[in-house]
Amino acid sequence: MKNKKVSLNSNTILLLITIVLFIVLYGMGCIMYGNKGFTHLQTFLNILITNAGLICIACGMTCVMLTAGIDISVGGLVAMDCMMIAVGLNKGIPAPLMVGLVILTGIIFGLVQGFFVGYLEIQPFIVSMAGMFFTRGMTAVISTDQVSVTEKSSPLYYAWANYKIKLPFGGYMNNKGKEVLPYIRINVVIALIVLVVIFFMLRHTKFGRSLYAVGGSEQSAAMMGLNVKSVKMKAYVLSSFLCSIGGICFSLNTMSGSVQQALGLEMDAISSAVIGGTLLTGGVGNVIGSFFGVLINGTISSIVKTNGKLASSWPNILTAGLLFMFIVIQSVFAAIRSKKTR
Amino acid sequence: MKDKKLISKIKKSQLLLPVVAMLLVMAVNIIHDAATGAGAFSFFKITLQQTTGNGTILYGRIIDILNRGSEAALLALGMTLVVSASAGTDISVGSVMSLCASYCCMLLAGYGVSSVNELAKPLWLGIIAGILLGCLCGAFNGFLVARLNIQPMVATLILYSAARAIGLLVCNDLIVYVRNDSFGFFGSFLGPIPTPIIITAICIAILSLILKKTALGMYIQSVGINARASRIAGLNSKRIIHLAYIVCGLFAGIAGVVASSRITSADSNNIGLYLEMDAILAVALGGNSLGGGKFNLAGSIIGAYTIQAITTTLYALGVSTNQAPVFKAIIVIIIVAIQAPPVKAYMRKKSLSKTAKGVA
Amino acid sequence: MKTSKKYLSFIVVMMLILSGCSAPGQALHVQTSPEDSGEVLPEDLQETESKNKVTVGFSQVGAESDWRNINTDSMKTSLSGEGYDLIYDDGQQKQANQITAIRTFIQKEVDYIVLAPVIEDGWNTVLTEAKDAGIPVILVDRMVSDDDTDLFTCWVGSDFELEGKKVCQWLSDFCDANSISGNEINIINIKGTEGASAERGRTRALRMAVARHGWNLLDERSGEFTQAKGREVMTGFLGRFDNINVVYCENDNEAFGAIDAIEAAGKKVGSDIKNGEIMVLAFDGTSDQAVEAVRSGKISCIGECNPLHGPRVEKIIRNLQQGIVPDKYQYVDEGIFSAVESVKEVTVDEETYSVKLP
Repeated sequence: MKNKKVSLNSNTILLLITIVLFIVLYGMGCIMYGNKGFTHLQTFLNILITNAGLICIACGMTCVMLTAGIDISVGGLVAMDCMMIAVGLNKGIPAPLMVGLVILTGIIFGLVQGFFVGYLEIQPFIVSMAGMFFTRGMTAVISTDQVSVTEKSSPLYYAWANYKIKLPFGGYMNNKGKEVLPYIRINVVIALIVLVVIFFMLRHTKFGRSLYAVGGSEQSAAMMGLNVKSVKMKAYVLSSFLCSIGGICFSLNTMSGSVQQALGLEMDAISSAVIGGTLLTGGVGNVIGSFFGVLINGTISSIVKTNGKLASSWPNILTAGLLFMFIVIQSVFAAIRSKKTR
Repeated sequence: MKDKKLISKIKKSQLLLPVVAMLLVMAVNIIHDAATGAGAFSFFKITLQQTTGNGTILYGRIIDILNRGSEAALLALGMTLVVSASAGTDISVGSVMSLCASYCCMLLAGYGVSSVNELAKPLWLGIIAGILLGCLCGAFNGFLVARLNIQPMVATLILYSAARAIGLLVCNDLIVYVRNDSFGFFGSFLGPIPTPIIITAICIAILSLILKKTALGMYIQSVGINARASRIAGLNSKRIIHLAYIVCGLFAGIAGVVASSRITSADSNNIGLYLEMDAILAVALGGNSLGGGKFNLAGSIIGAYTIQAITTTLYALGVSTNQAPVFKAIIVIIIVAIQAPPVKAYMRKKSLSKTAKGVA
Repeated sequence: MKTSKKYLSFIVVMMLILSGCSAPGQALHVQTSPEDSGEVLPEDLQETESKNKVTVGFSQVGAESDWRNINTDSMKTSLSGEGYDLIYDDGQQKQANQITAIRTFIQKEVDYIVLAPVIEDGWNTVLTEAKDAGIPVILVDRMVSDDDTDLFTCWVGSDFELEGKKVCQWLSDFCDANSISGNEINIINIKGTEGASAERGRTRALRMAVARHGWNLLDERSGEFTQAKGREVMTGFLGRFDNINVVYCENDNEAFGAIDAIEAAGKKVGSDIKNGEIMVLAFDGTSDQAVEAVRSGKISCIGECNPLHGPRVEKIIRNLQQGIVPDKYQYVDEGIFSAVESVKEVTVDEETYSVKLP
């Protein structure tokens, strides 16, 4: 009982650190670059728009990491999704059908990965590494060109991508004398819905709780009567499913498919989840944390871009620094826990 | 009767998998060459050719594979030790390679300079510094894994994402070209033989000598099998794991210098890209368990060259650079699926029932 | 209890490091901008100063080739002089990065956005955002797709198709001068990053020439404008074909890689294709090494691609400031380089270009 309390505490502390860190970072951005438009609401909304896909993917990654697994195939899958959408729409397939097709592909891909991890007991890293190779290669098999979605190829998809949901507050006049109303795009709405749904799923459904149980301890989960293999497989299906939705969000932002698309996105997703307090050893984590992890990544990149004089490699380095810090904190918590149990 | 024994012996040998894979690759090449009319054994043909820049050199597909596979083989050496000692993989090696290459080129060219013909610092300094930086990265990884007990994959994730970026920073976001023959030597030829092959051969020789002559190899394996038991037996398991990572970083550094010397530049974004995957794959293909414990260096090396052979073959078959990963993925999955415990158990059951039937 | 206190203090220490960690933005700002020496100006002074300055946001593709580095330098020097405030962003070859950068520029209310798009497609959304904010967009080097032409003010760059035509014409003239018939030419094309304007234009020119002169185009493969990929692709080609006599590389760096590969395979590069040499054709011709390669005959012919866009962009901005609308498409002047003596000049589209020694 006592043991559980500690893990709960460390969990909340990690989440708290993440949220505080985000506020500190964002506040710093506002203080340093307030005169450069950082304080406008749109800056924050831009972070959401740019990272909508990443939010969905980080949610899926969190679920997989809860089972002590990892899925590094997400970047490749996003590239494949973008390419499928771009090529499909140019071939005249209706946008809703294409979206359905992409999600279906994601689910099938997840089933295969999940089968290898859950039932054949192969290391998740190796399986998803093969998945990464496969999806990246398939992207090139579909087309080695850079294909774009234009108004001609699909007016509907084009309209989705360009639809601005204007917010009624926080508008301002810019230096050109044009009034700029803050807005979000459809992909942000999708991402936020995914976030809320997954949050409640993890909290209140049997499947959500079984993810935690499997990650906490496979043996005890099995003793509790859970089908560990099936739970693991479902986690990968969920991850690939969410990744496909993320891929659509990503595609709505870039409107093009290419082999180089979303390179390294898997590491962004993993680092967001880790910074958000998800333990890579499984059993502890929360999508809200991952959401803030994504926001922190976005804020760092936004600050560096706003500065305009820093080298573009700084966001990666700073994120890696944060990752280091959080991993060390996690290991300290793990040490406390193992001491308490002993 | 004797044959059967031999077969079962081979079957049990760890080298079975990589050797079979290598033979398969060769068979594909022979069939392809025969079909295209290039002569069935052109794959094995090695000729001496005159060149304008490098004098007389060895040329042939095998030489090319050995040459191109050098970096993967170097990384596989370190990776084997890491996998064995810590039951985890070091996914940062590709990025560390890139960082070492960038640092080495930056020293040789001077900071912020994008192209030089004259070296700014002595060659040995750049090379040694690059390799030492690799050791340092390895030491950092090792510290996290051995002292802080962090999962290897997680610990190395940090440098995986940071090292390439630091490399870019070191080069001031440029691709640094060191257009000097003395630097290009490590990627070109020593006499008729490509230098990377020689460097790799020396590294393999030194490492296997150390592992043979000292008890280090045994220590690493025993730590991998059971760290606690080895500690009780008087081994400093933490120090051994740490050492394994430093060695891995060392080889990543050497591989980085070789890779940048090949193209006489430090292209931080592309050097060693996905090479960590090749190295891990080589270890798995070499019949080593990714769960740690016993290791087989020869297997990893054959594995590394097999992977290079696969890549070269795919290119020769006309598969594009970007499409090749599909086939690699399928190969990885088949290899690991064969080794997966449930599959092995199933096979064993099947063969048992077969023998039982035979007896009956 | 004691241990938990110890760890609590550890957390406090970590938090301190954290706050140090998140400060680098500021610290680095000082560190990395020593070129604007003594720029530790008070905040308000900086602001009044920036009001008179024209702020330009420049989103560059990356640093993949020598050409690109010179291009970046040219832009930086032209736009960081008196009266300008340049915000530079390196997109590291990723379109998503460039989209984010443009959004940031809009947020910062820059006066002009200069964009060197990594690919031609997918800019519609973000360029519309720039248009809505009333910020003029100037494209350099590469184009965006045809549908988006009303979204940018003007474009500065090279006529890639013309460059390609010049080099192909050179090859054709060379064949005529040395009595080599068209079907003896076995050409391979090491393409640039697929979808980039340079790749499209130069490939289009080659394909038209191949059709016209009856050359054999054995294969095409992307070398992504880098030396490493160029070498890799060429090695693959040499393994597959043994009758290659012309390599058409879509930039210098690919050509260097191809030359390495050819020499490593024990073959010779040069223009004497009748005697088994492999002829290398290339584009850009910016770096010292490229000049050297042309002089020594390793590269037979280079179609120049002028990277010095900075001054022209600066002039456009100056005109725009005064309300003068510039021409929509502005081509930079370019020539053709070769040390082979049998061709003195090439004529493309009724325009004659003399072949120079770089």
